[in-house]
Amino acid sequence: MKAPTAMATPPTAPRKEERRIIIRTLGMKKQYNRKGQITHALRGIDVEIYSGEFIAVMGPSGSGKSTFFNMIGALDSPSEGRVFIDEVDVAQLTAEELAFLRCRKIGYIFQSYNLIQYMTALENVTTPMAFGGVEPDDARKRGMEILELVGLQERWSHRPIEMSGGQQQRVAIARALANRPTVLLCDEPTANLDHHTGQEILDILQNLSQNQGVTIICATHDHRMMNVCDRLMWIRDGGIERIARRDEVEVELAGIEGE
Amino acid sequence: MKTIDVQSQPILSFARTLGLALSAVRYRLFRAAVTVTVIAVAMAFLANILSESLIKGAIAVHARDGIREMRLAETWVANLSVPMPGTALIDRLAGHDEEPSRIREIAGLADISEDELADLVPVAVQARTYLQFFERLDYGRRRVLVGTASGPDIFRRLADDPAAVQRLFDGLLTMLSYRFPTERPDLEQFLTEWPQLDAWIEQIRAGQARAIRDVHRHLDGRHLLAALAEADGPFGEILAESGFELDDEERALIAARAREAYRAYLIEASLAEFEIRQNIAARRDILPSDVAPLLLWNLLRDEDQAGWLLGRMQALDLESDDLDAATLARLAREKARERLMMVAELATADTGGGFLGLGQRMTWLAFVSMLVCVVGIANAMLMSVTERFREIATLKCLGALDGFIMTVFLIEAAILGVVGGVAGAIGGLIIGVLRMLFRFRTLLLEAFPLTPLFFASLVSIGVGVLLAAVAAVYPSLRAAKLAPMEAMRIE
Ligand SMILES: Nc1ncnc2c1ncn2[C@@H]1O[C@H](COP(=O)(O)OP(=O)(O)O)[C@@H](O)[C@H]1O
Ligand SMILES: [Mg+2]
Repeated sequence: MKAPTAMATPPTAPRKEERRIIIRTLGMKKQYNRKGQITHALRGIDVEIYSGEFIAVMGPSGSGKSTFFNMIGALDSPSEGRVFIDEVDVAQLTAEELAFLRCRKIGYIFQSYNLIQYMTALENVTTPMAFGGVEPDDARKRGMEILELVGLQERWSHRPIEMSGGQQQRVAIARALANRPTVLLCDEPTANLDHHTGQEILDILQNLSQNQGVTIICATHDHRMMNVCDRLMWIRDGGIERIARRDEVEVELAGIEGE
Repeated sequence: MKTIDVQSQPILSFARTLGLALSAVRYRLFRAAVTVTVIAVAMAFLANILSESLIKGAIAVHARDGIREMRLAETWVANLSVPMPGTALIDRLAGHDEEPSRIREIAGLADISEDELADLVPVAVQARTYLQFFERLDYGRRRVLVGTASGPDIFRRLADDPAAVQRLFDGLLTMLSYRFPTERPDLEQFLTEWPQLDAWIEQIRAGQARAIRDVHRHLDGRHLLAALAEADGPFGEILAESGFELDDEERALIAARAREAYRAYLIEASLAEFEIRQNIAARRDILPSDVAPLLLWNLLRDEDQAGWLLGRMQALDLESDDLDAATLARLAREKARERLMMVAELATADTGGGFLGLGQRMTWLAFVSMLVCVVGIANAMLMSVTERFREIATLKCLGALDGFIMTVFLIEAAILGVVGGVAGAIGGLIIGVLRMLFRFRTLLLEAFPLTPLFFASLVSIGVGVLLAAVAAVYPSLRAAKLAPMEAMRIE
């Protein structure tokens, strides 16, 4: 499972030769002001994420993972600092360009699935395609293919309330993949799922990372994520605590176990 | 590796936006039904007020015209009995444009040239305005202003005595809520012209008295109504010779109405015969002294009864103007219609005024209904948008444009508005028409304002759609403009 080139690369770099930076943040801060009470959710994040890597963002609850996720996904704007997606400053984009970005370039997977309740699984998957201008017939065909990928082709006509949590999350993944995004952002995708279904979701993500070349950024505190990611990033109190390659962490863990 | 190039998101076709909005409505059918009900009730109220007011207005006009025609015979009996009172003459002169032939008649009767008379028309108009002002005052106030005088006597008193004018304006100072129609100099100017008008009024009345005497000489003992029933024949000629101007159409109409009135008079006169009175009382199980014309007419609507009465009248050698049973029954039914018209005139006395001629009370009610409607619809739309902020945020994450989200909610609001508006308009209209039918019966069919009612329904539907759309604009605009995550945080 381990990539053979991993040991040869420097500590904070990905395993692949091509080191194109797909997301970069510069001094990214976020404060929430609720009734005059200011919460510093992010206190200056500088990070570079490379195309094609699978990076897990770990940290305790309330540490700022979701906030980080929203910022780099262009779902919210930072109070300070800048976010570049493929060298484009997100703050410079128009509303239409942002919509384009969210529609075709980034796929989002949420902890609470966020499926549209009045749509069937297939309709949920084809909605982003519709926004992207795909013809209905093509969209249905491709939607079925993607549902097959996540193992839900039998359930295409079911509404979210007629499905289990794991199935809903798989529909959400299928929906995130609808327009073949470059980046897949996941915010605690397994947090609401039991052990077994969580593992299924992880397998799907790993498969996507390895076979489709999709960049995956996954906020989580599921430790199994360590088995599938390339790099790990720890966030604590809105700041980066540590970034490390998986093999480094594995060596450390092995050391601890050995002692 | 995949790269990112950024472009603008295309705008989704209207058909697909509509499809999405429809499926959203279908999913929340219950909530949609509640919203539709709110809109429908409010619009039913509006449509009901509008339709009842329109119907009442149409019936008011119809009844007024009908009653004027109905009274034509009586009007002419009056015209041929005494000269017109001064006030009525002033009215007629002031209404110069409306009835030119009447003015010609007056000029002829009084031996004044039509042009000279026309010169005095502005004075008559002014006199009418002043008289209307004094007529609206209660007795106490009038007493203070012009003493016991009424009608043209007011002007006579004012023209004779400058002190009276002073008293009038002094009195007006104590009645600030009553505005005199003109300034004092205008009144004084008018009073200098009044004697001429007054003199002619007297001249006209004298001419009318002469003409009336003329006509009466030719009556040969006939009842005036019986003579008028031949206004389209020889008696019409007599009228013309005496100076009453009538065209053929008017003559025919007067003759027909006078014939009816004469026959009605004969029938009611038959009640003077005790035998007839007693007979009817026995049928109705009441005292003979309680038999009134109204009861008689109700009885006569039945052709058999009409035949019986005519038989009795013949036996008693009473005059019946060649009436047969069928005609009498028709006359009785016509009488019922006249009563209905009279009731209708009273019942529609409150029409006119206020917004769109709804009347003050109805304008107020319509206003309150609109207010309730706005609040109810705004609340319903606000709820249905705010509870879907998460959905809106999700759609934005999937690449929906702000405009798309706005359109979806506006379409949804429009659908609810149309359904609610149509249901409400139809409901309100049906209730209104049924209520009016119950009240005015056949008169409603005679004066059914079909086109106005149709437009009133359209207005109700339009108002419903508009209110729903306006109420949806604010929350959906707010939701659409927010960054997706901000929208998702609002719960
Ligand atoms: N909308 C908000 N308003 C105020 N504070 C917020 C808001 N969202 C998050 N926070 C605060 O920001 C911090 C980071 O939150 P979050 O990014 O959700 O953490 P995580 O996803 O790691 O659990 C927390 O202290 C949280 O209370
Ligand atoms: Mg979180």
